[in-house]
Amino acid sequence: MTRRAPGEHPAPFRIVGRPLPRFDVADKVQGTTLYAADWRLPGMLAGRILRAVYPSARIRRISVEKARALPGVAAVLTADDVPQNALHEDPTGLGLSSFATPVLAADRVRYQGEPLALVAAESEVLAQAALEAIEVEYEPLPGVFDAGAALAPDGPRVHPDRENLLIHWKLRQGDVEGAFRRAAAIVERTYRTQRVDHAALEPEAAVAWVDGDGVVTIRAATQVIEHFREIAEILRLPHNKVRVQAPFLGGGFGGKEDMTVEPYAALLAWKTRRPVRMVWTRQESLLARPKRHPFTMSYKTGATEDGRLVAQEISLLADAGPYPLLSPRVVFAALVVGCGPYRVPNVKIDARAVFTNNVPTSAMRGFGAMQVTFAYESQMDLLADQLGISALEIRSRNFLRKGDRLPTGEALETQAALPHITARAVEALGERSRPSAPSGRVGRGIACNMQPYGRTVWFRDRAQAWIGFEADGALVIRAGVTDLGGGQAASLAQLAAEVLGVSPDRIAVHIGDSALTPLAGGTFATRQLYMSGNAVVKAAGELRAMMIPVAASLLEAAEPDVQFADNHAGVIGAPKRTIALARVVKECGRRGIPTALLSGFQGEHAAPIDLETGQGRTFPDYTFGCHAVEVEVDAETGAVRVLKLAACHDVGRAINPQSVEGQIQGGAVMGAGQALMEEVALEAGINLTTLFAGYLIPTAMDVPDVRPLVVESGEGKGPFSARGIGEPPTGPPPAAVAAAIQDAVGVRLTDLPMTPERVFDAVRARPARPEHEARGKV
Amino acid sequence: MAGAAPLRVRFVLNGSSVDVWAAPHETLLAVLRDTLGATEVKYGCGEGVCGTCTVLLDGAPINACLLLAVQAAGRAVTTVKGLGAEGHLHPLQRAFVAHEAAQCGFCTPGMLLVAHAFLADHPGPTRDEIRSAIAGNLCRCTGYTRIVDAIEACAGTGKGARGEPASR
Amino acid sequence: MDETLALLARLPEAKILAGGQSLLPMMNLGLAHPGAVVDVNGLPGLETVTEDGGGLRLGALVRHRTLETSPLIRRRCPVLAEAASLIGNIRVRHRGTLGGSLAHADPAAELPLVAVALGATLEIRRLGGSREVSAAEFFRGYLLTDLAPGEMLTGVRIPASPPATGYGLAELVRRAGDFAIVAACAVITTDGAGACRHASLAIGGVGPHPLVMRRAEALLAGGPLTDRRLAEAADAVPGEVAPESDVHATAAYRRAMARVMASRALAQARARAAPGPGRPA
Repeated sequence: MTRRAPGEHPAPFRIVGRPLPRFDVADKVQGTTLYAADWRLPGMLAGRILRAVYPSARIRRISVEKARALPGVAAVLTADDVPQNALHEDPTGLGLSSFATPVLAADRVRYQGEPLALVAAESEVLAQAALEAIEVEYEPLPGVFDAGAALAPDGPRVHPDRENLLIHWKLRQGDVEGAFRRAAAIVERTYRTQRVDHAALEPEAAVAWVDGDGVVTIRAATQVIEHFREIAEILRLPHNKVRVQAPFLGGGFGGKEDMTVEPYAALLAWKTRRPVRMVWTRQESLLARPKRHPFTMSYKTGATEDGRLVAQEISLLADAGPYPLLSPRVVFAALVVGCGPYRVPNVKIDARAVFTNNVPTSAMRGFGAMQVTFAYESQMDLLADQLGISALEIRSRNFLRKGDRLPTGEALETQAALPHITARAVEALGERSRPSAPSGRVGRGIACNMQPYGRTVWFRDRAQAWIGFEADGALVIRAGVTDLGGGQAASLAQLAAEVLGVSPDRIAVHIGDSALTPLAGGTFATRQLYMSGNAVVKAAGELRAMMIPVAASLLEAAEPDVQFADNHAGVIGAPKRTIALARVVKECGRRGIPTALLSGFQGEHAAPIDLETGQGRTFPDYTFGCHAVEVEVDAETGAVRVLKLAACHDVGRAINPQSVEGQIQGGAVMGAGQALMEEVALEAGINLTTLFAGYLIPTAMDVPDVRPLVVESGEGKGPFSARGIGEPPTGPPPAAVAAAIQDAVGVRLTDLPMTPERVFDAVRARPARPEHEARGKV
Repeated sequence: MAGAAPLRVRFVLNGSSVDVWAAPHETLLAVLRDTLGATEVKYGCGEGVCGTCTVLLDGAPINACLLLAVQAAGRAVTTVKGLGAEGHLHPLQRAFVAHEAAQCGFCTPGMLLVAHAFLADHPGPTRDEIRSAIAGNLCRCTGYTRIVDAIEACAGTGKGARGEPASR
Repeated sequence: MDETLALLARLPEAKILAGGQSLLPMMNLGLAHPGAVVDVNGLPGLETVTEDGGGLRLGALVRHRTLETSPLIRRRCPVLAEAASLIGNIRVRHRGTLGGSLAHADPAAELPLVAVALGATLEIRRLGGSREVSAAEFFRGYLLTDLAPGEMLTGVRIPASPPATGYGLAELVRRAGDFAIVAACAVITTDGAGACRHASLAIGGVGPHPLVMRRAEALLAGGPLTDRRLAEAADAVPGEVAPESDVHATAAYRRAMARVMASRALAQARARAAPGPGRPA
């Protein structure tokens, strides 16, 4: 499954690169893993949120007396009960603006489902009764429900003190006007992507309590334990009096990156001085938990006669809901990779996010870079059509190479093995399938993408890790990472095992506790392997450097000849000369040499980009990929079935190939779902998709076997030259499927999801032509 | 019905008798998780579509969130902890580990039970038949391929086979 | 049974709990707060599947899983088995019941559609009485049936199908197991020589309940079962349906798909109605 790119060196690793079973999977198959909602404490109350019914309204009156008087109700809180009812944000991270988001809405509601009040009661049933006993008098107000309309200067404002434009990022390079005048082919289209829900199988959940030292502790399904600071601010407590623990998550995908239940559970626990469990219902989660941004993307792309890109003029518009959350950063990522993995000398991009009264939008796997993939890859195919060259050919002529300048002016510092990646994906499709019915049409398509990994370099990203030996030679790692299911914890053990020679089954990993594990930054932005992986390798390396001389002295060997492997220190080339690592540990103790240490990895840092031109350093690096897809379209109904999906990514080095392949498979299926069936539909701010039965994510019958193809170019900025893989696989499927549909029935869809009805309508609208034959472009 | 007197419910859970009080409106899911501490059975949607609350009722997979606890009276309920003998992993569990058919693991208990019930009746299924059998158990992490691999690897071993020791 | 009926008579606001696959979600979502629930799962005699002349009699508590797997049903009435196999997921099918699905009357559900197409008869009982109603008359509107308070569905009778009868079932679903956007069920009886003696065609998802396509049926009856005739019958369908637009599909699309599904169901039915003696639907 894993083959090397030309020029790669084989890796001389013992542990890294092996498909080791993950320690957490053994617990998960036995059902012993305790997720956030599984934690039980004596006297635990049930916490619930009262949510706004209207998307835009004034709250005239909110009355909680009746609710408070119900038996078994321990607390009912409104905005007045929140010590600091504001989350202060710097939405861009550049200090350009500040924003205060209410924790509980006080006099104004800005989206359907906005939290208004909290209850804690002895049981879920009693909590529900208390919610129903709270009286709210609303005065519905006009709202802003269309991102385009939000930009109109005289329309309603979501916030009284500011305009609806949240952010406008700009990128300017070269001269697009001149370039278009000289272009041989120009394609202009507008693409739309939809609101998507993360739909992790685990709903948002936390148990909060005040411990014996008065520390408000929240054990939450969260991707970011660092939120303890925000919770402390809300409660007006010192930061060291709030503690966030993150158990293994039942999926995150960015939906648990912002705070969800944490501040509410904390407030109730702090107020009642009793443990409080808050688990959102699935329907509540679908209603109100922030979604992936819907994007409207207008692209004008110009190329020479032989298909070389000369200019991209792009306008991106994202619906940010009423509060900033991570919207500016999502749109920034879209800006940076808006042209895709191609050389383009002249670029003009305007990327905007606007406030509306629709459901909030924030981080989701792919983070802006996912949406633009649909646009830039579709443009490549349309240009190829116009110029009469193949989809493969036009891409080959424009693929970025190491050293090329990106539209932001920075040079690409690592290899972009795109020709190899693309060839692997295409080859994996094999023979073209035959249609399964007379109305079936088979088509194929490809799409390439680039996804940043690591946070924007202005953020001074940092991750710490503590590593130490026990007296018996076992190893302990403490790192504040959170494990979403992608093997974040297990990968740290695999890395430490490689460096220190402790077998993985003798390594204990403690993660996700803001009081006890050194902070590592959250699990998002495909940063965890890059940041914490490097931190662990660094710490392990520093520890090893201290212990090698001691081992050498015990073994009576020269330091360069000493190796740590299989829980022993040994002499290279002399298999009989070994001693247990435990002995080395003991000797270190005797000599006063530490066998544990804390270290940290500092991510790359650079000054922020120029705000007018978008020029400057942005992300540390990128992961490149290509997916090849074969579909069968039922020409009579428009239904699309994915027959084959091959997904290839260059991960630099696969620390655990099995986990890497699993991420690729899962991400590709998530992308396929967004291509064909997922949508959170809103109408005038009212969410129509609040049943899980109505939010369609792929089942096992909706996708074929996904062939994950791993390329290891040996160049990446993560540990042992690895690159991140969490987000990249979600990007290509929509564009690849759109290309395959065009190959099958001759229509190019520009709106996601590509439902049967949309395909059907497009086919009906297609100008009459002879029976369409697959053009065999792939 | 909220507020009505609790009823006594006796049933068998993973081979052991249990005797609990349940409100008439309480679901089996709520009683399993909150009264009996069987948190391996998950809440995922309350609609019967996600599969995380799957238990076997007299060997048949059902939605625990859609059964009133009182309806379990006199029946045998099996959760993932009832798969395999004590201290030993069931072959399906071993296969899931070997094939990394679980990432976040939240869908895994339900998935294992449905797979177990399916294989008991279908010893030599095709991959498509396996996909059809697990179509009602949603997974958001793995993309299903590895889950099908693991179930296919187990097909033919039959139920009751002893597994390997359950330690890591 | 009498005790149950007495309870239902005494507590008209009570909800019947059979499979629970429709009632429990509504309770979990807070959309239903029944003051009382009558669990009918233990009632003897309601889960039987018996031969009835050449047809079948099914108790209201027959589970979808039984409909799907019973050898008798698969032989005598394969369309019923096929329809049941399309419902929800395996867990739902282990608990969900025939009677429950019919009483719930979702316009896009498979079993109401098939019951109408097969000309099934529903047995209804109340304290002190019983009655029968045809499936076509049973479904009154969106989630609305002929059942009065205190009444309970107890059984379904499927008539015998004459020799040379074939059925077809075609549905358009977003994902396997979802409620159909549009579904069609056709039953065609031939004279053994390629002509149609009787045709039955019902469509679901295009109105508040399954709709019988009388014009299409009339077009087919008595004539040759040619491709052209089948196409004419399918073309008559859009004019006979009254779909509405919703978040899943527009009215125009449902109308167009009604024709496509009808066409497919008719083709399947014709193909299965092989000439020769004694071949059941």
